[in-house]
Amino acid sequence: MPPDIADKLLRDLSLGTAWLVVLAAIARAATPIHGYEIARQLADEAPEGLSFKQGTLYPMLRSMEADGLVKSTLIASHEGPARKCFTLTAEGRRVLNAWCETWRSTNKWVNRVLGGIDGTR
Amino acid sequence: MEHAESPSADKVVRSYLAQLGLELEGADAALRHDAIIDAEQHLRAAIAAGATAEMAVAEYGTPAEIARAYLDAEHEPRSWHITPATAATSNSSARAPVDVSAVSKHQRLRDIPIIGVWFDRRAWGAVVYFGAVGFVLSLAYFVWSVTIGSLAIGLAPILIGVPLVVLLLGSARAICLFEGKVVEFFLGVRMPRRTQPVQGADHIGFWQRIWCWLRDVRSWLSLGFLLGNFPVSVVTFAVTFTLAVTSLALVVIPVVHLLGHPIANVSGDDADIMFMGTQLVPDAAGDVWLTVPLAVASLAIGLALATGTLWLARGFGWVYGHVVQAIQVARPHPMNPPKIR
Repeated sequence: MPPDIADKLLRDLSLGTAWLVVLAAIARAATPIHGYEIARQLADEAPEGLSFKQGTLYPMLRSMEADGLVKSTLIASHEGPARKCFTLTAEGRRVLNAWCETWRSTNKWVNRVLGGIDGTR
Repeated sequence: MEHAESPSADKVVRSYLAQLGLELEGADAALRHDAIIDAEQHLRAAIAAGATAEMAVAEYGTPAEIARAYLDAEHEPRSWHITPATAATSNSSARAPVDVSAVSKHQRLRDIPIIGVWFDRRAWGAVVYFGAVGFVLSLAYFVWSVTIGSLAIGLAPILIGVPLVVLLLGSARAICLFEGKVVEFFLGVRMPRRTQPVQGADHIGFWQRIWCWLRDVRSWLSLGFLLGNFPVSVVTFAVTFTLAVTSLALVVIPVVHLLGHPIANVSGDDADIMFMGTQLVPDAAGDVWLTVPLAVASLAIGLALATGTLWLARGFGWVYGHVVQAIQVARPHPMNPPKIR
């Protein structure tokens, strides 16, 4: 596969999954969570070989906030200026649940199809 | 552990921010500002948490990648909001997907030469802003600034003036942020989503923080804006209001005539009605009627004047909006290192 097509496919896949994991990371946090902490958690849990560019998180969070999926509050920090911390809204939770369902069924379907070519079924 | 304040780490961060700024050159100033503030806060937090500056920068992404992410997020319609699974089960609270054909139709109307401005939301917003809202707000800002400023100067010898100066500068910054939201709503000029922290105000006490506020150029820019905005808004209000009312009158008068109503009713023998340089003679009942050529001319001039008013208001809005934006994105320490590819 030419490298530019591989890059494009990787970008498309990353964008969709990034939205899902960012919403999930915010949902599982017990308290409002700031951008750096989300980025750190996602980077720590990323599988080897999959690079997650932490800087892409912030425009994503802004889009999510504009669409009402997350809401932010400024929380004072001892380590520097006040930090913008995020929580999921009811709409965000609804979208996350729906996406999880979609992800699981897509995952099953893709694995089933891929099983036919590399024996991972 | 490398600290964000260490000279080498600081140099790496500054260099990265400058490269990111260069990658976003030509993009909206507020978007550029947001990208830089996000990156700066993230990188400093990462370094404070123990990462080396180089590692923090590498994990953050190259300036080109991050610039692309910001530009994409700003310009791509987010139709992802309704997924296939949710579309089937969504209730009325879910937002409808973006209707691309309606958007392009509206865009086509706006692109019509000259009269396209009638379909431009920013032009109508500017007429409302400069013809009413902006004038009232600028008057309120001016009264507040002059009152507190005068008190601060008068009470300076007995030291009570000092907290008043701090109050004045703090309120000026808050008012500027509020004004930014108002301007974005009415004039459509994007304002920063991220508030820029006061430079050097981390890890310090209350009085040092106040001192940083006093030294921050944005505090004084905001105050200057509140004071200078009033005379500007008086002029823009007078021009916009006068033109809007005149054009409205020129359009409405022939419509009143066409609906079968006289444009005026006078009594007395020496009544002298002049309309667009033409003397109109009342009939026996004292009713004043337009002639057909006058009605057509009035309508045409009224529509042309309204179109000109919309263009002028939009122009005012563009300039004014970008001045407010420039105050909000002003950085106390400009960075100009060479571009590194």
